[in-house]
Amino acid sequence: MQTPSAMLPIALFIILATALPVGMLVAAKLVGPKKRRGAVKDMPYESGMDPIHGTRRRFDVRFHLVAIAFLVFDVELLFLYPWAVASRDHSAAGPEGVDWAVGEHLVSGRGIVFAGVMIFTFLLALGFAYDWKKGVFRWR
Amino acid sequence: MLLALIKIAVLVFVLMTATAYLVLLERWVAAWVQDRVGPNRVGIPLTKVRLWGLGQPLADGVKMLLKEQYVPSHVDKFLYTLAPISIMASALALFAVVPFGTIDLGGGYILDLVVAPGIDVGLIYIFALSSVGVYGVILGGWASNNKYSFLGALRSSAQLIAYEIPLGLGILGVILMSNSLRLEEVVNQQAELGVWFAFLQPIGFLVFLVAACAEAGRLPFDLPEAEQELVCGYHTEYSGMRLVMYASAEFIHMITAAVLIVLLFLGGWHFWGITGSEPVAGLGLGLVRLLILLGKIFLVIFLFMMVRWSWPRFRFDQLMSLAWKVMLPLGIVNLVVVAVAVEYFNDAIHERPWLASAVMWAIAIVVWVVTAIVNPRRDDTNLPRLNDELYRPDELGPPSGGYATADLTAAR
Repeated sequence: MQTPSAMLPIALFIILATALPVGMLVAAKLVGPKKRRGAVKDMPYESGMDPIHGTRRRFDVRFHLVAIAFLVFDVELLFLYPWAVASRDHSAAGPEGVDWAVGEHLVSGRGIVFAGVMIFTFLLALGFAYDWKKGVFRWR
Repeated sequence: MLLALIKIAVLVFVLMTATAYLVLLERWVAAWVQDRVGPNRVGIPLTKVRLWGLGQPLADGVKMLLKEQYVPSHVDKFLYTLAPISIMASALALFAVVPFGTIDLGGGYILDLVVAPGIDVGLIYIFALSSVGVYGVILGGWASNNKYSFLGALRSSAQLIAYEIPLGLGILGVILMSNSLRLEEVVNQQAELGVWFAFLQPIGFLVFLVAACAEAGRLPFDLPEAEQELVCGYHTEYSGMRLVMYASAEFIHMITAAVLIVLLFLGGWHFWGITGSEPVAGLGLGLVRLLILLGKIFLVIFLFMMVRWSWPRFRFDQLMSLAWKVMLPLGIVNLVVVAVAVEYFNDAIHERPWLASAVMWAIAIVVWVVTAIVNPRRDDTNLPRLNDELYRPDELGPPSGGYATADLTAAR
């Protein structure tokens, strides 16, 4: 089991890992030369050209499609993690504890879980094939 | 608490030093590949001792510290500073659960060479923090208010999220086989089995290797900062210490990728005939194990560097179709194969691991051949479509109104 105190070093590490770049910035600010500004220096860098228009414009929808596909697959993946960890864990629910009687056959609970995951993966693959067919992954 | 602090200090020091010297190593490798001399000048200042250029990282560090911390006026100031801090903090903090072995110091005192020992969700934590790195890239690209940065950030986000799925699928196979999210446990199981997971699940290893390389943004996948197209990509507008943070986060990402590949697939500290397979080692053996682990990590990093200096960059549509049309199906195949193997042949795997890995390799080769036959490169709808009028002017003749020219004054 996990105690909260086991997580303490992680919290400490995250704090220190944030403090390091902040400290680097502060040190560089103290040591480095003073800022000098100028109209040209303040311009966005566009390989020496004067910028033609601003950056905040509409951009291509294909990035959006990829993001949606990612969301679907990533969430489905997350469902598989608990199964992957617990699939052979006999301490949580013994192999006998999750058996069902179907008619006169005794069906192993693990078998049902495995079949469930396989069906889940099959549906995932089906959705993937549909996306492919629809051209979501085609980068036009 | 104090022990954790000491471990964090040592780890951060080692990581930052390793990062600085990996830059030098990268330049040495580049020079070696390109038949140049490379950086060999900077040694001890005020003397003529050159030390093969080992002073270079220190000199670079001092130079970057003394640079002007310039913030252009057109950027979003808060996000502009937050982005490099977040990317570097997440890259560093990821190492909190990376185990470097367990040493029995005698007297009943056991030292875990990991900042946070006994974390049950280590892999989830690593996965979560490596996703935070994407924020640093997108925030930086957005806040810079520069078209190169913005395009670089968009490309980067598309690439990083596309390759996160194969990465997760590769990890899933390892979790299935070891039944644990603890990295220590994953390594111990490989040592106990005597066969590394790279042999037992070759497809997963391949998928994870490619995806980790892409997540680290190493050269065949460095589209977000393709110099010839986007200047520097998402950190075009950055300079001084903020640029150092981006650069070192990049190298830390590479170290992370190498460490994960070694721990998950290449047996961690285990090596046949040298290290034994007990989870806890004595002081001497523990140090040998640490050396083997570091040696493996170094070899993987060296592989990354050689790949960087010998491969050309992908085109963006190739990159995306590699992720979605090759790596994702391969990952799903690996998941199913490993799930079936673990469900029905678990005892056989533990009795004859080498035979099991031979079978797995045979499956991998079959899958490879099938993939090669249905290769998406044959799908020429995938090629970028150029405007036909511009592409074949001679066959079509000039368009009715003459060739279009960009009217810059009107657009301004």
